[in-house]
Amino acid sequence: MPGPRALLGLGLLVAAARAGGRCRGWGWGRGWGQGREWGRCPPRRTMHGPSAGPGPKGLRFLGQEEAQAIDQELFTEYKFSVDQLMELAGLSCATAIAKAYPPSSFTTSQPAVLVVCGPGNNGGDGLVCARHLKMFGYLPTVYYPKRPSKPLFEGLTIQCEKMDIPFLPEFPAEAAFIDELYGLVVDAIFGFSFKGAVREPFGSILSTLERVTVPIASIDIPSGWDVEKGKADGLQPDMLISLTAPKKAATHFAGRYHFLGGRFVPPALQEKYALNLPAYPGTDCVLQLT
Amino acid sequence: MCFSHVPGKSRPPPPYPTSPGALPGPCLARIQPPRPRGWAPKRASRACPPPRATGRAHPEPYEPPARSLSAPRPPAQRPGDGAVSQILPVGGGGHPCPPRAHWCPLPLPSKAEAEAIEKELLEDYRFGRQQLIEIWGHACAVAVTKAFPLPSLPRKQPTVLVVCGPAQNGAIGLVCARHLRSFDYEPTIFYPKRSPDPLYRDFTTQCEKMDIPFLSYLPTEVQLINDAYNAVVDAVLGAEAEAGEGREPCAAILATLKHIRIPIVSLDVPSGWDAESGGSGGISPDVLVSLAAPKECARRFLGRQHFVAGRFLPYDVQKKFELNPPEYPGTECVVAL
Repeated sequence: MPGPRALLGLGLLVAAARAGGRCRGWGWGRGWGQGREWGRCPPRRTMHGPSAGPGPKGLRFLGQEEAQAIDQELFTEYKFSVDQLMELAGLSCATAIAKAYPPSSFTTSQPAVLVVCGPGNNGGDGLVCARHLKMFGYLPTVYYPKRPSKPLFEGLTIQCEKMDIPFLPEFPAEAAFIDELYGLVVDAIFGFSFKGAVREPFGSILSTLERVTVPIASIDIPSGWDVEKGKADGLQPDMLISLTAPKKAATHFAGRYHFLGGRFVPPALQEKYALNLPAYPGTDCVLQLT
Repeated sequence: MCFSHVPGKSRPPPPYPTSPGALPGPCLARIQPPRPRGWAPKRASRACPPPRATGRAHPEPYEPPARSLSAPRPPAQRPGDGAVSQILPVGGGGHPCPPRAHWCPLPLPSKAEAEAIEKELLEDYRFGRQQLIEIWGHACAVAVTKAFPLPSLPRKQPTVLVVCGPAQNGAIGLVCARHLRSFDYEPTIFYPKRSPDPLYRDFTTQCEKMDIPFLSYLPTEVQLINDAYNAVVDAVLGAEAEAGEGREPCAAILATLKHIRIPIVSLDVPSGWDAESGGSGGISPDVLVSLAAPKECARRFLGRQHFVAGRFLPYDVQKKFELNPPEYPGTECVVAL
């Protein structure tokens, strides 16, 4: 009669073929279930791109191309779907906001939040975030001027509408209006694919947001910032929620709260890109970096 | 637990505003009156039978399900007609069970209604199927970590066996396994009959690429399973399955699972149970995670913990199907009943 270890060995024989570069072999060797720090592997990993940036314990800050490559790999190699990861990303953003700005901390009479969604995936993250904020007890309002005609975004918009989340027909003209009506603004305009000049209507939106005094929480990249160099005279958000791993622009972030979200990166991918992600606490989907 | 569902009857208006109107209304999750732990029974349209005074009032002899848990259990009471009881865990030192809540004998969502809820979410609310499965799988994984926290596991390695069936319940199990892996558990998957649906194939690939091993066969020698794993996640059959044991290989899997001694966590419906009438002689899970809302068969659930993963349900769906969900604490996506 085979013992339990042999049983597991038999089962392991039929598992799919593995890519190389992994620091642990088959079987329940070291690293499994013991340390919680993924990515702390013996030096058999490949280093891609520039060297590690500043951050807690060697956390890597990604360049724009690396970020795009990781994203691509998640979809093509790891077969994640956009709506799956967007759901997890949006949930991370809402959870981080709930930790940093609990509803009781709002100075407005109700925890009203303005979510400004851009034309791409960052906007989609914003829509999911708005829906979860509603479930967490906030009162989100969305401004979504440029909507891609893809079923994913249409679906997310309908989910928000059906949760009674209002969509503004036009953006508040003055920063003072935003300050009066909302206790927080979520910036979900541009993400890590942003490059070049800001097209309207987002140019005027961003210049209004730059004058707003209520806190701004940016999803992944403060909108309008260069993904690697930042933007000294641009938006200055109070909170940044980096998804998957922080990008180089985050080194220029000067706000109070920097969270890491998007707890879906497979260990193999973390090793391949030497992300050195710190351990998430428990089952939380966010981790506070600062 | 009371899910009131009395079609055609007019209901008294709830004590909180229900229609936000043109302006963003107050969020109902925050304004709902605080509920006691567990479900607040709604006013019944017919008089509830008075709770039974003591002891066994049922004529048939009741055999507690054969399983060994770490703490000895007192003999279970057979639920009286309509009144559902939940066995609460025995504290250390063998205290008698605390008195059980008396639940109103009103029906929970039936299998048809559960299907209708899902259909509405997919068609009217335009949730994607993968999105829903991701939400549910993630919530199930969180429930598993609450029921079996890492430090509490008896074995040295936090191993969990996830048994996945061929349909949606199995796909939810795959997502659950993946999240368990990111929560530092060591799941192993047994997925004998893989769905040809490309959607579910992607879930399989994601698990494989997270280094989660897939067993090639499930040993019929249950002691091997008892020795190797801390718990089993039963994602074999869901509410959509027909009553009874089902076809191979599900029948053989369920026959094995009936005899294991480690705790079972069932996703949505204990596999092999009829979604409405419950199971007799089927598996006896220790933990049940109801998706969206508990099904009728949950009345017959006698295990240790019952979670609901329904936070994501839009308020209008809750109202339309007259669900009466509990408060979810903080940002949690599951709540224990």
